[in-house]
Amino acid sequence: MGRRRTSLTPILFIIPAFLFILTIVIGPSLATVYMSFSVEGKLTLEKYFEVVTETSPKKALVLLPEGLEPPPWGALVHNIVWMAIHIPLVTLLGLFLAYILRYTIGSSIVKAIIFIGMVIPMVVGGLIIRFMFDKDVGVVPIVFDVLGLESLAKTWTSYPQLSLLALILGSVWLWTGFSLTVYSAALHAIPASYIEAARIDGAGHWHIFWKIVFPLVKPATIIVVIMTMLWDLKIFDIVYVATLGGPGGSSNVLALVMYLYMARAIDYNAAAVVAVILTLLTIPPGLWLALRGVRSGR
Amino acid sequence: MEAVRSNALIAGLIVVAILISIFSYFSLSSRIASVGSSVEEIGEKISGLEERVSRVEQEVRGLKETMGQPVETTTPPPREIVKTEVRTETVVVEKVTLTVIGPWSGKEQEYFMEVLDSFMEKYPNITIKYVPMRAEEVARTLTVQFEAGVTPADVVITPWAWWIVEMAKKGHVVDVTGMISEDEYVPGILDNVKWGGKLWGVPFTMWLKPGFWYKKSFFQKHGLEEPKSWEEFLQLLEKIKGIPGIKNPIVSGDQVGWPLSDVTEHFLIAFGGPELQYKLISGEVKFTDPQVREIFQRLVDLIKKGYFSEPVEWTSGVERFWAEEYALYFMGTWITGMVPDPGDLGFFPLPGARGVVGGADYAFIPKYTENMEAAKLLLKYLATEGQAVHVSTPAGKVPTWLGVSVEQLWPPMQDVFRKIKELNMAIVPDLDDTVGGDWQTLFWDQLKLLWVQPDKLDQVLETLAREHPSVKG
Repeated sequence: MGRRRTSLTPILFIIPAFLFILTIVIGPSLATVYMSFSVEGKLTLEKYFEVVTETSPKKALVLLPEGLEPPPWGALVHNIVWMAIHIPLVTLLGLFLAYILRYTIGSSIVKAIIFIGMVIPMVVGGLIIRFMFDKDVGVVPIVFDVLGLESLAKTWTSYPQLSLLALILGSVWLWTGFSLTVYSAALHAIPASYIEAARIDGAGHWHIFWKIVFPLVKPATIIVVIMTMLWDLKIFDIVYVATLGGPGGSSNVLALVMYLYMARAIDYNAAAVVAVILTLLTIPPGLWLALRGVRSGR
Repeated sequence: MEAVRSNALIAGLIVVAILISIFSYFSLSSRIASVGSSVEEIGEKISGLEERVSRVEQEVRGLKETMGQPVETTTPPPREIVKTEVRTETVVVEKVTLTVIGPWSGKEQEYFMEVLDSFMEKYPNITIKYVPMRAEEVARTLTVQFEAGVTPADVVITPWAWWIVEMAKKGHVVDVTGMISEDEYVPGILDNVKWGGKLWGVPFTMWLKPGFWYKKSFFQKHGLEEPKSWEEFLQLLEKIKGIPGIKNPIVSGDQVGWPLSDVTEHFLIAFGGPELQYKLISGEVKFTDPQVREIFQRLVDLIKKGYFSEPVEWTSGVERFWAEEYALYFMGTWITGMVPDPGDLGFFPLPGARGVVGGADYAFIPKYTENMEAAKLLLKYLATEGQAVHVSTPAGKVPTWLGVSVEQLWPPMQDVFRKIKELNMAIVPDLDDTVGGDWQTLFWDQLKLLWVQPDKLDQVLETLAREHPSVKG
């Protein structure tokens, strides 16, 4: 009897939350999927073909027309490039800083400073990136100017060769606070006796880091990589504020293309197609993370 | 056992409650829909009546004209403005609070608030809450809200007439045909908010983009003069380039994109005439046309010679221009309200320019407003008397309504106005604002590219031609 009672009670608790999610998340999501296939009342792949093969610099997902440079990539490729640079940098930088700061006096102040990037609104972050790479007031071009590297002593966000890189590097600053916090917590969970034992056995700092610390913080690394990947895929605010995807579409990203279809071209179906593509890309890492949590009993 | 029963009972009740809610929702929504369609029918009939009244009014005006009575002319502001008597109406409105969304913030908001204050003084029962929202943000948020059948504001003001028309096509905007006398406005200014033979918004005040602004004191100090020919313009740029402390002769505004498109359009109008601007808007002339390429080549030559700066954030561009890091800035008339001493500002168009780009902010009423009558009163006020209030502030605007005299303008703007009048320049619609849609952002973006990579001229022109709505649909 008792077992039946406990099996019904959780369902009763779940119903309100489920209805809420059904209305706010699941319903609109299904409607978006339907909209992406619907053209003049018919279900078709027409919009998908149109969106994927689009070559306008502000809307292209894969490639721009030949002859456009540099490089003639569409928004989806930019997102992939973003992940390829951003994920390793954020992961390694967060781990390295967390490890170094663990043994540094006053590390909490440094951590708080690094964490500022996570606290400020992304729109403000976009503005800061703009100024950070501005020829007259930005720290980056000024440093290159001092070093005598003329080709990099200019406003990065104004040049197609540098605008995407400026945004990616800026986002490293914004997101490193996250990985630093996760790794700091993970490092604290490692028993001090492991490190002490290794030291007694004659292991050096580098050896301890790679052979003991790195394997033990693997769960944290997975979290950092997956979360950063999801963040990179849905990146919008900083691009919108700092470059609006330009110049020449050189820093365009998926979420911005979705926005342009929706608010500028007033083409809701095409916007829905991009939304579905974006969602499909985020599902595998998210699902994998969720299943991993379920398997490990969390 | 009892506990199980009570749990089952609760579960059953919840299921029944959910079913009842769903049933009620569907039955109510169908009833609401039928009531809604009846209301729409009544609305259409009223709007038909309004149209008839408007036509009668126009006929009366025509009769007056034939009888020799004075009628307001349709002369645009730069030529001559005839002061007309403001017709006051006594309309009793219940106490309501209107929410107005407009594109102004900071100082510009203060100037606009003067208009709203004067309206509230005239209609004490109406209180107005103002929400600043840029055109981009309006397009982003309101598009979705309208689709859901709600509106966050009773009156929305935006410079994007194309967007108002797009919303009208989707049935989200109130038809305001007959609300204003169309012949009392700057010719052509209403065309942008017309669709299907109806008017979907009313114009508020207008900005002009008359030419290159300079500091009179700077010109005086360095013995510079306004150019009278293209050659003199080039000589002026070369002289400025040699002045110590000057980074580039002309500052290029950036971040949003329109400052670059403004100066480009000025070149197109100066060397191709106002007619070229119209043809580029309609798509009759392509961007790859040899005439257009030749004009762009002039611009590119100046960029290559370093006469234009690298694109800088446009508001900081004003500050740097005022700090004499740059000597010239192509900007709209609102710059007069952004500098410490507008009396020290002078401007000159490119020699030979026969047109000046002018654009208005437009106000419209979303169909989902619950304060229709009060909203209509405000809309009419903004289109008429409110303009006189706005142009008297340092907002740097001119009226689109011909019922405002030059003397009512803020004094620095009177000088600008008179100069445009002397130069006999026609007012031409803004190219990218008129084409609108995603082509507008593409235009801005391609110009940003051109500014840093002038060698890409042909590529940029091909992209603009290929993506123009007249080609792409």
